[in-house]
Amino acid sequence: MQTRLIQITGIIWTLVYAGIIVWIYATEPRSFKEVATNSQVAAGVYEINQEKFNNALALFRREQFRAARDEWAGADPAQKDPRTQFYVGYACYREGWGRVYYDDALFKLGLEAVNRAIALAPNGTLVVDDPNLQMHSAAELKAELEQGTETGWKDVNPLKLFRQRK
Amino acid sequence: MKDVAEKNRALLHFIVLPTILLTAGLLGGLRIDGQTRQFVFIAPPLVTLVLAILSGALFVRAGAIDLHRWLAIEQPMLTNVAHLLTLISLFFASAQAFNSVLPESGLLHWMFSFFFLWALWINQFSNFDPRRLLRSLIILFGTAFVLKHLLVAALYDPQGGWLKAIASTLLQGISIDVPRFAPITGYISFFALALYVGGLLLLAPVPPDNSGVNKLALSEEALPESSGQSSLE
Repeated sequence: MQTRLIQITGIIWTLVYAGIIVWIYATEPRSFKEVATNSQVAAGVYEINQEKFNNALALFRREQFRAARDEWAGADPAQKDPRTQFYVGYACYREGWGRVYYDDALFKLGLEAVNRAIALAPNGTLVVDDPNLQMHSAAELKAELEQGTETGWKDVNPLKLFRQRK
Repeated sequence: MKDVAEKNRALLHFIVLPTILLTAGLLGGLRIDGQTRQFVFIAPPLVTLVLAILSGALFVRAGAIDLHRWLAIEQPMLTNVAHLLTLISLFFASAQAFNSVLPESGLLHWMFSFFFLWALWINQFSNFDPRRLLRSLIILFGTAFVLKHLLVAALYDPQGGWLKAIASTLLQGISIDVPRFAPITGYISFFALALYVGGLLLLAPVPPDNSGVNKLALSEEALPESSGQSSLE
């Protein structure tokens, strides 16, 4: 009877441990801290650091976009919060926006972030009620970023000098 | 007293052994980046799976694993499932042990892979007993470990040293592209290999008798003297 119990325990333990190993290799954490974050995500208890988020928002409003992105990266290390990812995308948009040309690298980063936000949002729809923003939905921001990364005849239109940043 | 021994044997066989093998599997693919000091998990490349199959075949041929007694129709399902999981753990640990001592990319990766394939293939046609096989594997892994984590790592040591000077002279004109990992990677690899070898030492050719079925099987067939004991005994 005792051997049987040990066998059952062994089977369950081996399966759980093997599952943990497969999970580690699938998520590829880069540090013990990331292991802890990924575990929180897997357990469904993951929450962003609200204080860092607010700091980042303050920086964003002062147009310190790079610092804001760094703070948001710290607030949402697992990149699992749609609202934070939306703001990261927005920060990339505002930082990369130029009257003459757009910064392609930043727009691509922004596009990745906004795609994450859309994927994480329930039903793929995300609306952020922030009066300081001119684009409130992730779809709008995505379209703007996509247009920025596309090249065409409109790029040589001199009237684009009069366009406004959103 | 007999009960305690049986209980300990069962604990060792059904819990400790798979844990050791899986831990070897976990650590076998772990590297630490030389610059950022971050974890890098390298899943076993396809060639290591082939190598693990070849080494598994060697275990069976040499009698280190008596497959008919590990998985038998006469045994309870639970026992078979537990044994199957242990064998899968062994396969995974073998693949990761090879992964641990194989250079990650470039010319050296293929040279080491070829060296392993050749050694394991040749051994398929040799006469082995479990102890000789274990000794042979320790030497194989030891050599690869020394080559990768001492010789090749020395080539990329920023401080240089006599080994780097010799190797640079010998390999002048040959470009060897190997990712740079922190020295602690060598310690992790050593620990993974030690666990793997430890797991092999604990692996009994015939699993400990726990159902009464093996007794019958043992009486029906003549077994070599070492059967039923782990390689340690």
